Amino acid sequence: MSSGIIGVGITGIRAAQVGLLTTEHNITNASTPGFSRQRIIQSTTPPVATGAGFIGQGTIVTQIERLYSQSLVNQVNTAQTNVSELDAYYTEIKQIDNLLADENSGLSPALQDFFRGVQSVASNPSLLAARQSMISSAEALVSRFRSVENRLSELYDGVNTEIRSTVETVNSYAQQIAELNQRIVLAQAGNNQQPNDLLDQRDYLVAELNKLVEVKARVDSDGSYSVFYGNGQQLVVGATVSKLVVQASYSDITRMVVGVQAAGSVQELPENLMTGGALAGLLNFRSETLDKSSNDIGRLAATLTLTFNAQHALGQDLLGQALGEGSFAANFLTVSQPLVVANTLNASAATVSATFASPTAATGGGFYTNLSNSDYRLTYNGANYTLTRLSDNQSWSNATIAGLSAAVSPSEGFTLASAGVMAAGDSFTLMPTRFAARNIAVNSAVAADPRLIAAATPVRTTTGSTNSGSGMVTAGTVATGYALGALPVTITYNSGTNQLTGFPGGPVAYNPAGTTVTFNGISLQITGTPANNDTFVVARNAAGVADNRNALALGKLQTQATVAGGTANYQDAYARLVSDVGNKTREIQVTGAAQSALLKQSQDARESLSGVNLDEEAANLLRYQQAYQASAKMLDIGSKLFDVILSIRS
Amino acid sequence: MRISTSQIYSSGVLGLQSNQQSLFKLQNQLSSGRRILTPADDPVASAQALVVTQSKDINSQYIENQGSARAQLGTLETTLGSVVDLVQATRERAVEAKGILTDNQRGFIATDMKVKLEALLSLANSSDGSGQFLFSGYQGGTRPFAIDGSVAPVPPATQAPVTYFGDEGQRLVQVDASRQMASNVSGSEVFMGIRAGNGTFSTSVAGNSGGGINQGTALIDSGSVANPALWNTAVNAHGGFRIEFSMGGSGLEYQIYETNAPNAPMLAAPAAYTPGQAIPLQKTTAPAADFGARVVISGTPAVGDRFSVTPSSDQSIFKTIQNLIGAIETPVTATFTSTELKNRINAELTNLDRVIDNLGRVMADVGTRQKELETLTTGAKDMDLQYATTLSDLQDLDYTKAISDFTQQQTQLEAAQKTFAQVSRLSLFDIL
Repeated sequence: MSSGIIGVGITGIRAAQVGLLTTEHNITNASTPGFSRQRIIQSTTPPVATGAGFIGQGTIVTQIERLYSQSLVNQVNTAQTNVSELDAYYTEIKQIDNLLADENSGLSPALQDFFRGVQSVASNPSLLAARQSMISSAEALVSRFRSVENRLSELYDGVNTEIRSTVETVNSYAQQIAELNQRIVLAQAGNNQQPNDLLDQRDYLVAELNKLVEVKARVDSDGSYSVFYGNGQQLVVGATVSKLVVQASYSDITRMVVGVQAAGSVQELPENLMTGGALAGLLNFRSETLDKSSNDIGRLAATLTLTFNAQHALGQDLLGQALGEGSFAANFLTVSQPLVVANTLNASAATVSATFASPTAATGGGFYTNLSNSDYRLTYNGANYTLTRLSDNQSWSNATIAGLSAAVSPSEGFTLASAGVMAAGDSFTLMPTRFAARNIAVNSAVAADPRLIAAATPVRTTTGSTNSGSGMVTAGTVATGYALGALPVTITYNSGTNQLTGFPGGPVAYNPAGTTVTFNGISLQITGTPANNDTFVVARNAAGVADNRNALALGKLQTQATVAGGTANYQDAYARLVSDVGNKTREIQVTGAAQSALLKQSQDARESLSGVNLDEEAANLLRYQQAYQASAKMLDIGSKLFDVILSIRS
Repeated sequence: MRISTSQIYSSGVLGLQSNQQSLFKLQNQLSSGRRILTPADDPVASAQALVVTQSKDINSQYIENQGSARAQLGTLETTLGSVVDLVQATRERAVEAKGILTDNQRGFIATDMKVKLEALLSLANSSDGSGQFLFSGYQGGTRPFAIDGSVAPVPPATQAPVTYFGDEGQRLVQVDASRQMASNVSGSEVFMGIRAGNGTFSTSVAGNSGGGINQGTALIDSGSVANPALWNTAVNAHGGFRIEFSMGGSGLEYQIYETNAPNAPMLAAPAAYTPGQAIPLQKTTAPAADFGARVVISGTPAVGDRFSVTPSSDQSIFKTIQNLIGAIETPVTATFTSTELKNRINAELTNLDRVIDNLGRVMADVGTRQKELETLTTGAKDMDLQYATTLSDLQDLDYTKAISDFTQQQTQLEAAQKTFAQVSRLSLFDIL
């Protein structure tokens, strides 16, 4: 019996020791991420049956369990992957938000200054200092465009780099999970107990993985995890890892995309397959905000260039030159043509080029372009060429490139041409405005010689000096495509026929309320009551250095609807971009805050179950210490009882 | 609910951070005075602010433009004022020349007029502050008026005519969104394009049918138009008219001839002449027509004396003064030459009146523009204030509210810090 006493005491000591060890393990891992607190499960050892009944034989630790709930962990992971996605998005979009907010780096002040420069030329068309100030303000504007674009390009580079490093980390986590899978399977095969710390580590890796990309883990029958992303794509199965690959996109080599290694080649994964985590945040930021912002800024640059140039081309410079004459510079600004990238998988070597269409003349003066802020994809299926606008999947098809070009140019603002023969399945990506802001510049000829700014209009009108009627003539305007070859033209009024004659395409009937005479793209209006044989002369505006009509027209472009098919002026278009980015940033901010609150709740719930509380562990320490002391006392008592027996003999 | 130790720390830190974030933002707002730090703070207001900023900028550009237009119109007004003074003085001298004077005395007047003509020419060639000629239209760098030596003098002027080298171009200034105002008037409008005579037609001596100047002492007035429509029809049909005197049975008679067919009479029979009587211009041969105009001839014409009535054409100020000088310099040798002088001076005085009328019209036009500018500037300044207010409402910080928020946030942060320090200090291990 006494050996029974000692035996029972020893089971108590052993159990208390395990309890102490587990408590110490908890204390030391109180701040280990992913650690779930452990506790011992004690039970009685099988009792001995006697005539008096069953005598207890002490205690035994049957299991060291971790306090863990798969559903709580899943909740944390889901919340975490959303928060990480929004965080990554927010970090990136915040940079655009800040860029646009800055009064000094934003585009708006430079745009205002530029038109101030145009106004100063309108006020003093012959003053070289005013012309120089217009060029300086234009230089400032284009450099602002370039610096904004440059900042956006840096964001592209940043996204590319981050995608690469994120995917590398994903692969590394996946590898570690696969290794842990093996160790867990082995450990569980040895005995029936759970290797708690290994399980915690693996769960922690899954949680970390969720910060990068949303994954789902499924427990297999052998205890290993199968990890999936997207809508069921395998990342880890048992000990096998299907690594993700980062490479330049086939359709646009400047863009890093995520793919998987398929037989012989890399297959690109659709971007919408990646949900959750930093990776989705980065991809969404790039496709939703960065592309659009770059295109918006580019569209503004391209539209400014095209519309300003169209008006500038209707002018006459300080040297008296008009379009097509001498060193006349039709273009005040220059910009790069739309970018077309051939898919690297194309079977043929055919190339496609796109060119901005001439802006449309608006009724009431000014010009506008129809450029959108979308990218396009051109595909060839062997019979038809199809152009798809990627923002809304609107598409146009035609059997020839020329036909397709004619179909899209009126509404999309660019024309297409191709060289070489395409193979079926070839595709091209068109980015009409992506790099326009990078490549906008002041025409170097004008920058070198401010006299080339076309502030005047190339024609002027005079009423004949011997006129006896009261007919008046307006100053005359020119429209795109005008020709000066027929000038000077003398328009004569004939009272007998009540007609105006003497100009190409004449005569026209005269109406005293105002008769418009148009020939060779030159228009003027005659009003009042002319007498028979009264004349009106349309002539070249020789020496017209004080004429500012074209400068005024250029200045007016500031408030005319020039962008997006004549629906917004330059500043409106920019304000729209600012508002779009601001709204998106705010949306991400608000959703992020909500998701963070959700994450905190689920983390609290998990911590509440699995987290270590040091006070609790301190109490446990005391408890197991006292249990140990009590059991040791039992040994002491057992020993003393034995001594009593021994002393009887002696 | 069970709390884990790490929860105490992470919650505490989270609370401190969110408090600090709010404080940081408030501090940024307070130091910049801006309610909107980045567009995300208020996307709609940010976009609106951009649009309003442009409107405000453009509006202040208009105010600037109005100022420069005002300055240019001011220069114009001063110059035109001097021109009017000169023309008035010339007119007085011309009236003086009609008096009983010797050739010598008229010579002095002619000399004085020549000096005035020079002065006028130099005024017409004035330039503005930046060296651009005021009256040359688009051709700011071209001297607009010069005596054109390549053209022979047109009698009665003895000097080669002044030619205009400018054009009718308007130098426009954008003074409002929908208003472009001319800041100049062209030289042709001020100095060249002046309707001679009474504005519809001009009367003049046309010389005796026997050769030489009119031999009688008849004076013709500048005429009057009663019905411009009839007159226009008449001019389009006949070109102009000539009144010629002849001796009829009961005394002096006159006949009217048209210019287009110089010897076709307009009157079925010559009409009797009474000095000072209005002569209606009309056609009594079939088909009869009233020309809607009349002239008054007074004094006694000689037989064969002729007067012409021609539709007004443009005559420059310079031509008028040159004509005056030419007329005044012609020696007076007899009564009929004195009459000729008076007739010529009268004709040019009528022209000078047209010049003064025209200058008055141009100055009124300039004055109206200045007045309009005043109105526009007042309006634009009001708008400027309006825009500034809107912009301030959109962007500016409500300091009272922000400071109160700041204080509240500060208190909150301090409380969070203190409690966190206390909670984290509690540990059972300290007591064991």
